[in-house]
Amino acid sequence: MTSNLQENIKAALGKFTRKQLMELDTCSHCALCTEKCPAYNISENPLHAPGVRTAKAVKLYDKKFSLWSKIFGEKEITQKEMDDLAESAFHCTLCGRCRESCPFGFETHELWIRIREIVDAMGSTPENVTRLTKMLDEYMNPYGQDPDTRLDWSFYVDIDEVPEEDEADIAYFIGCTTAYKGANHEVAFSVCKILEELGENWTVLGEEEWCCGAPSMMAGKVEEAKKYAEHNVKELEERKIKKVITGCAGCYRTFKFEYPALLGRKPNFEVLHSVEFLRDTLAEGKLNIEKGDERVIYHDPCELGRLSGLIDKPREALSYLTSNQIEFDEHGIDSKCCGGGGLLQGVNNDMRLDIVKIKLEEAVENKADILVSACPSCKLTFVDGVREHGIELEVLDIHELVAKRLGVLE
Amino acid sequence: MNPLIASIYTFWVETLPYITIAVFTLGMTLRIQRWLSAPKDHHLPKIDLVASIKYIILDVVLFRKTFKRDKLTWALVFAFHGSIGGILFGHMRGFHLWSASLFDPLGHWWAEWMIHTLPVYMGWILIGSTFLLLVRRIRLEDKQLHSLVNDYGALLIILFAAVVGQGMRIFPPESAETVAYSVVFIPKYIVLHLEIVPSYHWFHWHVLMTQLFVIYTPFSKFIHIISGVISPALYGSRRKELDI
Repeated sequence: MTSNLQENIKAALGKFTRKQLMELDTCSHCALCTEKCPAYNISENPLHAPGVRTAKAVKLYDKKFSLWSKIFGEKEITQKEMDDLAESAFHCTLCGRCRESCPFGFETHELWIRIREIVDAMGSTPENVTRLTKMLDEYMNPYGQDPDTRLDWSFYVDIDEVPEEDEADIAYFIGCTTAYKGANHEVAFSVCKILEELGENWTVLGEEEWCCGAPSMMAGKVEEAKKYAEHNVKELEERKIKKVITGCAGCYRTFKFEYPALLGRKPNFEVLHSVEFLRDTLAEGKLNIEKGDERVIYHDPCELGRLSGLIDKPREALSYLTSNQIEFDEHGIDSKCCGGGGLLQGVNNDMRLDIVKIKLEEAVENKADILVSACPSCKLTFVDGVREHGIELEVLDIHELVAKRLGVLE
Repeated sequence: MNPLIASIYTFWVETLPYITIAVFTLGMTLRIQRWLSAPKDHHLPKIDLVASIKYIILDVVLFRKTFKRDKLTWALVFAFHGSIGGILFGHMRGFHLWSASLFDPLGHWWAEWMIHTLPVYMGWILIGSTFLLLVRRIRLEDKQLHSLVNDYGALLIILFAAVVGQGMRIFPPESAETVAYSVVFIPKYIVLHLEIVPSYHWFHWHVLMTQLFVIYTPFSKFIHIISGVISPALYGSRRKELDI
């Protein structure tokens, strides 16, 4: 193995922050997180257990940085160790459920991203993830679609024109999974219709909207995510945007929490998930909506609920849409992941579909008529799961439900 | 007594405490230096004292998350940590941090029970729960967890220290004569005074094992005794920041 590679790995290991290193040293490998891990629950492969990941990571760290290694020399990291860490790091939905079962409350989401950075330095990133980052680099979206087709979704829905203004109060940041995935075209349509209905002064960025950078971070290329942050913030600030709203939980979390860290400053606009905007709009009675009585079950997207703290607002918004809101047994901060996060689709789609099956079956057991979420990745996963497992359940994004209530979506 | 054993025992009681304090201090310095040499965090929550204390109590003292997950595991983990906490508190009396009169308001019978009976139960609870945690770890090994050597090392040191500590209590002193013992860690400041002479051999082994515990702390999972408070404090502040 080249010493260059060992040096690269050492440099990546050296990026563990003080807190992360303390967390790695503190982890008692108690396995209390294991049963809550959606990936481990499906595979029962110890490598997929969060506590095993920390054990593997700290072992590698000590090979390069321990007192022992300083006195007696560093040890080489073997190919097997690299393969194991890659297997562990990428069989994870980054849902953060392990944080909620860890007695110490480690911020595992950040820790797993850091470990993916190490895997990237090892050159052990799964092939599909590498392909995704190449597409991101070339097309500014992870799906390898031409940037000039970013608004093509509007051709398939009943909308005349999506505004692309030089200046506006509100920018709707659509997000790649909404813009490029057929299952979500009506989500974009619904958000646009709501904004239209409200008569807001709004715009989209069109071709100038780049991926938010979340997939780049999830692939372990945190430095590269900076370029997406810089571009998007520049475009939005040039348009003197006051509020950025997005219907994507991943984009929301990235804008709200990662961008300030990546850029070293807070952007000059407020970031809202569209469900917050929706909740306020509904509470103020700005939309003329009639409540339905279908049994609606709400799935908390991990990046919106557990990782961003938006747990009550989506429920408050839903309370204006149905009189029959029901809950999963584990919801809110304890919500089970749908399987759609962490780039798992590219790494192990079968696992993703097995994870979503659990959630879908639970919704059916609860006699839900509609499964509602507020994240295009979750919706895509649910739609794929319904199709794969032949489950009869209507899956909607909350904005689609609003559009239906407004009578603008069938 | 065999003079060799006698001199070893003397070493454990009279010399080792200084080494223990020195190694512990050096170890903690190295551990803190290891953390401080890592890059700074740019993502730390703003500390909210109330939220931090709340989650330290909920998650570290009461093991809320484990309780939510599985009551049996919670009982085991709580018994283990609770008995350690109780035993350490009891030992503080030997260091003259508190005195038996603390329990006087409870009345004579209860005060006696708190000082002399409860510690024996605590010892059994600690031995039992440590053993069961060890069994749990072995059972889950290569299924749900990959332990590091020091994960076992930590449990074994506690188990041995607890067993010999309990031996001190349940086996009668070998000598009819009572001898006052002191174990000096830092003269005048950290000195363990023994009220009665316990079983001679068990006592010395207990002194050794507890010192190994202290020596091992900075280099092992025992570090979570210290760092395990910092993480939940940050977690609490993060929850406050996210309003959850």
